[in-house]
Amino acid sequence: MTVHTEALGHEHGHGHGIMTQEEYIEQRDTRFLGFLLFLFTDSIFFTAYIFAALYLRSAAPVWPPVGVERPDVNLGAVNAILLFGSGITAHYAMHRLKESRIAGYIWFTIATIILGSLFLGGQAYEYAHIHATWSGSSFGAAFFTLTGLHGFHVFVGVIYLIVTLLQSLGGTYTPERHFGLTAATLYWHFVDVIWVVLFFLFYIY
Amino acid sequence: MSTDTIEILRRTEAPIHPAPESFVRKYIFSIDHKVIGVQYFIVSGLMILLSGLFAEAIRVQLTAPHNTFLTPQQFDEAFTFHGTLMVWFGAIPMVTGAFGNFVMPLQIGARDVAFPWLNMFSFWTFPPAVLILLSSLAFGAPNSGWTEYPPVSLQAGVGIVFWTTAVFTVGIGATLTALNFLTTVIKMRAPGMTFTRMPLFVWASAVTAVLSLVATTALASALGSLFLSHVFNVPFYDPSRGGTVVLFQHMFWFYSHPAVYILIIPVFGIVSEIIPTFARKPIFGYKLIAFSTVSIALLSFMVWAHHMFTSGLGPWVTLPFMILSMLIAVPTGIKIFSWTATLFGSNLRLTTAMLFVLGFLSTFTIGGITGIMLASVPVDWHEHATYFLVAHIHYVLFGGTLMGVIGGVYYWWPKVTGRLMSESLGKWHFWLTFIFFNATFLPMHFVGLLGMPRRVAYYDPAFQGLNLFISISAFLLAGSFLLLFVNAFWSLKKGAAAGPNPWGARTLEWMIPSPPPYYNFKETPEVYATPYGYGEPLPYSAPYNSVSTTPTY
Repeated sequence: MTVHTEALGHEHGHGHGIMTQEEYIEQRDTRFLGFLLFLFTDSIFFTAYIFAALYLRSAAPVWPPVGVERPDVNLGAVNAILLFGSGITAHYAMHRLKESRIAGYIWFTIATIILGSLFLGGQAYEYAHIHATWSGSSFGAAFFTLTGLHGFHVFVGVIYLIVTLLQSLGGTYTPERHFGLTAATLYWHFVDVIWVVLFFLFYIY
Repeated sequence: MSTDTIEILRRTEAPIHPAPESFVRKYIFSIDHKVIGVQYFIVSGLMILLSGLFAEAIRVQLTAPHNTFLTPQQFDEAFTFHGTLMVWFGAIPMVTGAFGNFVMPLQIGARDVAFPWLNMFSFWTFPPAVLILLSSLAFGAPNSGWTEYPPVSLQAGVGIVFWTTAVFTVGIGATLTALNFLTTVIKMRAPGMTFTRMPLFVWASAVTAVLSLVATTALASALGSLFLSHVFNVPFYDPSRGGTVVLFQHMFWFYSHPAVYILIIPVFGIVSEIIPTFARKPIFGYKLIAFSTVSIALLSFMVWAHHMFTSGLGPWVTLPFMILSMLIAVPTGIKIFSWTATLFGSNLRLTTAMLFVLGFLSTFTIGGITGIMLASVPVDWHEHATYFLVAHIHYVLFGGTLMGVIGGVYYWWPKVTGRLMSESLGKWHFWLTFIFFNATFLPMHFVGLLGMPRRVAYYDPAFQGLNLFISISAFLLAGSFLLLFVNAFWSLKKGAAAGPNPWGARTLEWMIPSPPPYYNFKETPEVYATPYGYGEPLPYSAPYNSVSTTPTY
């Protein structure tokens, strides 16, 4: 007697009814691999534009080009702290769920969503006040394309977290079965890591 | 319930998705990998034909030095559409979407791919992308060649917006298909099928998926930057604002060099299946063929700048790229020699599929050798902008990819439809295609070496004789394909029933009825060895070890 067909959660795929825990784990591993490959291919998207930014930089005599100002490093740092803080809260939310402490999970997820939204607000503020334009210079081209792409990813991440929060309030996720949450958290960490690179690329290096 | 019971249950019942009832769910929005494979086959086949029509228009124009059949503008549009359609809408979906979808899950003993719904989505990015591309003909078509180098492509009007959107859309489908295939190969293999027991087509599909995951996304960023440059005036490629046009070439070729391996590696897989079946022999050097595929894939990411030798990169950039490009000849040569060694001393059965594979071996080798010539910087400087390069790419992509694909069509047609094709018609098709292929593209080497530039609507009257010969051969080459369609329709109407295993092959897809039932395998087979052990008992668990491997065609 190793597993029982009485499933606890409602997370299921491919139109099945209730799965055994063993079937669930097999399917979860498959989806996890698929999701990792998605994040990998997404990272190539960023890598290509980061390469482009470095290439444009190598072609310019000075960087940023004459007449273009670097974005304010303090604002970038505040944004970085907001985003990294949201990574920590996302991590703890996941742990609380695994420990069946649902209230803790909910509050940490709400904190993650708020921090992520604040990051987007900070980026909007930066776009409104920076002395560079998208079409004005190669620096602007690289900066707005990459931070815009990243901001779009953060935006999607916030939506993704809100959806998973609503789903868990509806009882979709359990301490045993929560692949959708794992994927959302992983995605959020991925977006965090990209920001580390972009922060160095545009604000410091 | 014990684990053993669950194991048995999983093997005998519970399809991963229930069989559809309605016509729409069965044939249009199907999630069955076999139906999706056939859908890909039909759409990409149509795109190859359409692309061929553009090619014939090019050849009509070039029958005379100053022909008025097309304006120079229309000529540019014709070769842009020919290349774009053939690469992204014809050949790549054909070798991955069609062959990969139909054959690969069957060969690993799976009931479907890992993500059937995603698979359906991947396919349905394809027809819209075709419509987007073709609708550009009404608004000002793209006309800067399939590579769409800026600044020319950015000066050519709105066509570039359609072009980037269409290729981006079809690229989303290609990336998701790659993600799906790689997950499938890693997670869904039948018990006992270790990596070194996989059929070689599965190896090829998995490696192609890795290439596609890395490269197609890089292409997406190149397309994105071109789109942004045109629509939002972003200065990636405008030197007056700090941009540089060579950047696009880097981004584009970082994709498009691996892309030629996305085009050819599945065909290596097809060839590696057909040769042992008709040689009635174990394939020579199974592991060498599998691992050389991996090394080709790794090398393919380090050679992109050999397309840019004439862009002024400087000797310290071009030299390593030249050496690495030539190095690819080593793993490719390993394959050619392994296939030849399999044929050596075999009791070869010259079916149509096998003839096309022999055609592939000879023409692809020629294309490979001219490839080494072009990888040499001094030669490339002279030949890059001439018809010599056109001849090379067609020996690799027509003589290589398309020959192998047609061989694969003749090989798997009985499995897909349940009916045999006519071998005598097929042999006529092969000989006409093979002769007129060479008559079309071999002389292009000569006009290229004589200095005729490519991508120009007019040419020096000194080249007229050879061009007329090429054009007439090209029309006959197109005509030879009528035999394929006649054969296909004849087979669907009157072809003899194929039975499960007409060729006497040993891979898993031949162990089940033709066409395969909805769930492929009633019980998941267990695998005990590679499939290529001709002369030995089948390496599968019952009932799959009792299928006859005597050819019945």
